[in-house]
Amino acid sequence: MKFRPDELPPPGGTILTLRGVSKTYGTTRAVQDVNLEIPRGSIYGFLGPNGAGKTTTIRGIMRIVLPDAGTIEMAGRPLRGELLDSIGYLPEERGLYRKMKCVEQLAYLAQLKGVPRREAIARADRWLQRMDLAAYRDKKVDSLSKGMQQKIQFAATFIAEPVLVILDEVFSGLDPLNIELLRGMILAERDKGTTILFSTHMLAEAEKICESICLIEGGRIILDGPLERIRADFPLQSVKVAWEDGREPPTDLPGVAHVESSEGLWRLTLREGVAAQDLLPGLIAAGGLTYFAANRPSLSEIFLAAVARHRQGVPA
Amino acid sequence: MNKVLTIIRKEYLERVRSKSFLIGTLLGPALMSMFVVLPVLLSNTGAENARTVGVVDGTGTVMARLEAGLAGQGRGNMTLVPYRADGGGLEAAVDALKKAVKDEELDAGLVIPPDFIATGQATFFSQSVSAMVMRDEVFRPQLDRILREERFTRAAVPDSLFNYLAASTSWSSFTINAEGEQQKQNEEATFIAAIALIMIIYIMVLMYGNHTLTAVIEEKSSRMVEVLLASVSPGNLMLGKVLGIGMAGLTQFGVWAVAFFVMSEQGVAVGGFSLDVHFLTPVILISFVMFFLLGFFLYATLYAGIGAMCNTVQDSQQFHGPLTMGLALPMLLLSLVLRAPDSTVSVVLSLVPLFSPVLMFMRVCVETPPLWQILTSWVLMAVSIWLAARLAGKLFRMGILMYGGSPTWAGLVRVLRS
Repeated sequence: MKFRPDELPPPGGTILTLRGVSKTYGTTRAVQDVNLEIPRGSIYGFLGPNGAGKTTTIRGIMRIVLPDAGTIEMAGRPLRGELLDSIGYLPEERGLYRKMKCVEQLAYLAQLKGVPRREAIARADRWLQRMDLAAYRDKKVDSLSKGMQQKIQFAATFIAEPVLVILDEVFSGLDPLNIELLRGMILAERDKGTTILFSTHMLAEAEKICESICLIEGGRIILDGPLERIRADFPLQSVKVAWEDGREPPTDLPGVAHVESSEGLWRLTLREGVAAQDLLPGLIAAGGLTYFAANRPSLSEIFLAAVARHRQGVPA
Repeated sequence: MNKVLTIIRKEYLERVRSKSFLIGTLLGPALMSMFVVLPVLLSNTGAENARTVGVVDGTGTVMARLEAGLAGQGRGNMTLVPYRADGGGLEAAVDALKKAVKDEELDAGLVIPPDFIATGQATFFSQSVSAMVMRDEVFRPQLDRILREERFTRAAVPDSLFNYLAASTSWSSFTINAEGEQQKQNEEATFIAAIALIMIIYIMVLMYGNHTLTAVIEEKSSRMVEVLLASVSPGNLMLGKVLGIGMAGLTQFGVWAVAFFVMSEQGVAVGGFSLDVHFLTPVILISFVMFFLLGFFLYATLYAGIGAMCNTVQDSQQFHGPLTMGLALPMLLLSLVLRAPDSTVSVVLSLVPLFSPVLMFMRVCVETPPLWQILTSWVLMAVSIWLAARLAGKLFRMGILMYGGSPTWAGLVRVLRS
């Protein structure tokens, strides 16, 4: 049973809501009191280091693992049973039936999401075309390269035309060419109105593609919201500078938290609340300055700062 | 429900289209008839090893009568070699006989002294204990007969009285079925047919049970579990798999059954013997189908549960053994139940769901147990299947969290408790 278009919230409205979701394995608290609101039609980054609780949360959404506490709703309805058919899920642990033909494989997975067989085969053919794999229609998965297999898995995730798609570490193990191809397809699906939950531990990857994010660490959400707002909340900046003769920066610069060398330049991370231009007079005074550029904070920097804030008990 | 059908379709077609299915369907009957027919042939046609027995006959007449008697009994594999007392006297002949037994030229040696008819004493030499079986089963009845006949002759008993005294029982056997009719039965054929049907249940359950096990493990080794569980509930996934694979098994069996009946109708002896089709009364036929289906799905579901816990076939070995024992044990208990199909022990054993396909079905073949017992065993098996399917689904869900680690009995207990 799929959602009727009028049951779905308008773009930007909340499509998926998690309230107080917790899961404990034995004595390990994998996820604690997770609250999330995922806006429709966006690419939502679900970010955190390995072991932070991303996969457990996702498995909870898909009801593969049943949470100990909390509720999960999709467009205002408790998420269970056939409503799961409106979600496409590409797990990190993914594979294919090795002995099955590509077209059969896609059609089978579409049917399991409730697409009638005839329609499922037609869609499988369309996706093979789109993925440039039409020549492999009747070939067994065995005979495909690893990159091709990943494309098939990707197609299988979207074939039932889901409202929400969960991609767990989708780019891991792919070459740059295929990453570019899949990124383009993800953006195209987003433009069609599909909501994408993009889970990864590679923050740089997420930064390029996500509009909203949440950061999870130690099973708890420590930060969430639109990326722009989060950047504003963390006026944390760094500057890149260089001097004649590759001279080292002065050691007693006020307002600098951390110094490191990076690609022939010096990267100075500023203390919170310090603006880039505050630093400039001191740098000029040292003499011989050849390069100065202010950087926006990267997601990794925000993440580290957010973890530090969280540990000090400051609400993010 | 549509999803279960989709899974059934996939599992069914995958199997039926495979080469191994075709080969199995063609070779299966050959293998099965080997299993069933070979032991029967071996025990019936006396295809035992040829035996050579040396005989020192002090009477000069007994050996000829012994040979004639053995030939009449169909003991063609027995060769008697006379050891004569030429010149050296009886003792020299006995010494030669003992030496031949010692050197393994003979399987055994038999000495019939000159006063055998008077004393009834004979001597038997052998190297092995198994020869004692031969002495008791082959030579004792023959020599007893010769002794009796000769003593009657010497006592000048008239032939009429002799025949009167030498009479033995001649049997007419009947079994009375539920309708109270008397039906003459060929007991041996009934027994063979029952054993054949039980072997079919046993082999099919074992074979397709293993199919289910490997199919479930494949789901995990190909890392399809999570993708599938995002679309189907674990219970439905298990159900679809067991039913799909089960239907492939039934298709194979159906092909065989049709072939068998067509050939029987044509009077072709299948695999060296023809099954007495009259033995298949409606009760037995219905029971066979029911025990076949229920046994099949019970074991297939349990095997699926094992597969759900394991990442590799090797992992599954430790759980595999006990389950296979569940099938093998009733085969060992078969003779116990055959001897007293009505005893409390037999009734209880045949109601154990894991044993019912073999033991209860055997009871249906050899007697007609009360209807409530048959129905109870069906209900118990059906309930067991339902429980096993739920358990298998649960294990499958748990199993995806156990990547890497090997399953243990302790882990199984934890899952069962949760």
